[in-house]
Amino acid sequence: MIKLALPAGDLRTPIAGVLGAAGLNVEGYSEGSRTYILSVGGEDVVARVFREKDIPIQIALGNYDLGVCGMAWVEELRARFPHHPVVPLRDLGVGCSGLYAASAAGSGRTLASPGGRGLRIASEYPNIAEAFALAARLPAYRVLALWGAAEAYPPEDADLAIIAAADEAAVSGHGLSPLLCLMESSAWLIANAESLAKVDLRPVLKPLAAGAAGGATPRLRLPPPLAAAGAGAGPAPRGADTVRMALPDGHQQRHAVAALGDAGLLPAQGYDGSQCLRRPVSPLTGLEFKVIRPHDMPQLVAAGAMDLAITGRDCLTEHLSRFPSSPLEEVADLQRGQFDLAAVASEAVPASDLGGALEHWRAEGRETIRVASEFPGIADAYARSRHLGRYRVIPIAGASEGFVPADAELLIEGTETGRTLVENRLKTIDLLFRSTTCLIARRDRGLSGRRRDVFQQVVRAMQQAANARQAV
Amino acid sequence: MDQSLRCAGMRDILPDEMRRFRRVEEAFRTACLGWGYDEVRTPVLEHLHLFTTAGTLSPQMLGRVYSFLDWDGWSGERVVMRPDSTIPAARLYAESLDGGRVAKLFYVQNVFRFAESDDSREDWQCGVELIGESQPQGDIELVLLAREVLDRLGIEADVRLSHPGLLRAVLARAGLDASGQLALYDRILDGDDTALPELQARLPEVGASLEMLLGIEGEGRAYLGNVRSAFLSSVPEMETPLDELAVVAEALEDLGCRTLISAAMVRNFEYYTGPAFQLEVAGRRAGGGGRYDALVSLIGERQVPASGFALEAGVLAGLLADEEPRRRLPATVVTAATDSASLASAFRLAAALRERGLAAQVAGSLPDGGPRVEVSGEAFSVSVEAGKARKLDSVEAVAEALREAVRD
Repeated sequence: MIKLALPAGDLRTPIAGVLGAAGLNVEGYSEGSRTYILSVGGEDVVARVFREKDIPIQIALGNYDLGVCGMAWVEELRARFPHHPVVPLRDLGVGCSGLYAASAAGSGRTLASPGGRGLRIASEYPNIAEAFALAARLPAYRVLALWGAAEAYPPEDADLAIIAAADEAAVSGHGLSPLLCLMESSAWLIANAESLAKVDLRPVLKPLAAGAAGGATPRLRLPPPLAAAGAGAGPAPRGADTVRMALPDGHQQRHAVAALGDAGLLPAQGYDGSQCLRRPVSPLTGLEFKVIRPHDMPQLVAAGAMDLAITGRDCLTEHLSRFPSSPLEEVADLQRGQFDLAAVASEAVPASDLGGALEHWRAEGRETIRVASEFPGIADAYARSRHLGRYRVIPIAGASEGFVPADAELLIEGTETGRTLVENRLKTIDLLFRSTTCLIARRDRGLSGRRRDVFQQVVRAMQQAANARQAV
Repeated sequence: MDQSLRCAGMRDILPDEMRRFRRVEEAFRTACLGWGYDEVRTPVLEHLHLFTTAGTLSPQMLGRVYSFLDWDGWSGERVVMRPDSTIPAARLYAESLDGGRVAKLFYVQNVFRFAESDDSREDWQCGVELIGESQPQGDIELVLLAREVLDRLGIEADVRLSHPGLLRAVLARAGLDASGQLALYDRILDGDDTALPELQARLPEVGASLEMLLGIEGEGRAYLGNVRSAFLSSVPEMETPLDELAVVAEALEDLGCRTLISAAMVRNFEYYTGPAFQLEVAGRRAGGGGRYDALVSLIGERQVPASGFALEAGVLAGLLADEEPRRRLPATVVTAATDSASLASAFRLAAALRERGLAAQVAGSLPDGGPRVEVSGEAFSVSVEAGKARKLDSVEAVAEALREAVRD
């Protein structure tokens, strides 16, 4: 049985095209499909769909023989684990992009002089960002590991960003100035080295090898030491009277749009059901908006870079699980975007609760309970508090349904209607908590004057709108 | 057990090795106290930025540290399990001891660096830092102190001397900017075969082969004289490092300490600015150190000269022969009783023996070895050898009988 890991997200459509052209009929692997366990053309091949970022890790672990993902993610793994057993096989000629180090346009930063001590580097590729900083010998740098939207961070919340973009023009389109192209990336067929040596992979290799483009394996190009780095520009000055508020992109956006609309705070343009500008203009003087990933908000608010954020209680709880003394608190439940965060297991487990499931796994001789989640802090706290014994938390980027039962016993997973669970033959065995969209801030506000007035005005408006919604 | 429950690269120290380890520590501590040093200890966790500050550790070393976000690390500021003790010692000095005076510090503590497979990832170091001393006396003192520790352990070591200024002077001559110098420096120390010819090609005015400087280890005074005559006319910037090295090497030679000069020796620790040394035993690195005059100012605010060294305690302990435990077997107060009064009486007797300077324990059955004492009402029965029991009637008499047994 060959195990193949395929990407979800933007690569799904072009990869489905490549597979189809190669005569590999992957049933259900098309845009929008929520089915994660698939068969390939009647051959003995099982394909599962993962977030692209997780695929090299799954291949390196040997959980999958073959996979498809952008080479930037393979290099992200290699930057931290140089001896990983992932072998790039073929460029599939789709999903082409570059990985750029960039600074805010007009910041005066250059590659030769990126800035002085304590540079902040924001990226979805934290290992590459780390390798970049070490190679450049940036003094006392700090890497902000993000879930996404790194392009929105400079200049206020980071000095440099390492981002994927189609080309330099696309980097400039984000209001950034490209300093260095770290690599050109495209989607590649990759393999686990041991599988390549021992498993007959021909059903997949043969058709894909015939149709693939050639070319050298893309590798990370790191900068030389930048010993002469000058002081560069410091952090962008922040308006003394400005309250900074983070708004979510992705699935939380529609809830935030509705909540802001009810509170009379919706931007006139750039942030609605169809648009998502990174810096929409607030209708309230002294209030500044920035749109970023909900997962990344708690860290920014806790560190004082943002005063307020609309995020999910799941993200807030994850942050507090990892950093129990963080000064964050929920200041308003916006009464929207409700879902359950639950412990999920395979439908085949003959138990309806965690205790029964643990008994079943132990009877099967399983010594280590594997818990996969995009909320590793919550998963870890749950495993400790529920006495899972010897357990392992597998941090993942999403699409967790593909992990059970082969690669994990348990998921800590958000579930809204339960439909996805049923489609993937999963079931809830424990409820952790109910999550909704909420407004968060620091407990110790440290605000005064005009900023305090604006902050209180925003919180009051959001709370009143939420209360009115609850009353209905 | 098929698979060890130990983490890869982590080691248990068993009693035999622990005794050897303590001998290393005792020799080190005795020598340091004799030279007027005070003992300190720094925490395992430090801020990562102390180590990423340019001019401290090399990128290769930084790529092997154990760093993570602490439970209050929401700002993204990471902490690190110390990969080196000199930088924490410099921080300690800058924060707590910098009153403009000389600090002579020593410590025995562990450092953590990732290594492949089951190679050790935790190493114990016996380290010394001499902070605030700018004279060559300090450099000489450190080599002699390190040698004294090894002498006390009966270990002979080769002493290699180097000076990072030699290679830096050549690189600066090669028309490279600071970043290019650093890159080439790394390549040479990483053993990149193409780096040396590339550097030589950039230095047509240097007639002598760089192989002589970077590929050869020479005997102290004689070799330094050769280097001086071959390079000084084309790389005059080498004069200061050569002078600094010569003072140390020649003084050591006069004191009967033979040294080898190795220009390409200092790696991973970029904070060295002056004479550096390394101790090798049977081809294995057993310790090393050097002058780091810029490090304290990178951490604190003042420029403070400093130098130091660390000995690898695990390596040295591995070179020592096993010795019989000096510890004597404790006397065992044997009681099969299970009632509280009898148990309390047995433990009271053991405590009384310990108060009299004897090792004593309580057991419910006969021990494998060592003297034993049984309590019977107000009387005691002491057995030092199997089958030979003496009846005694006081704790003091029991203690004396046990002392006699130890003396025998």
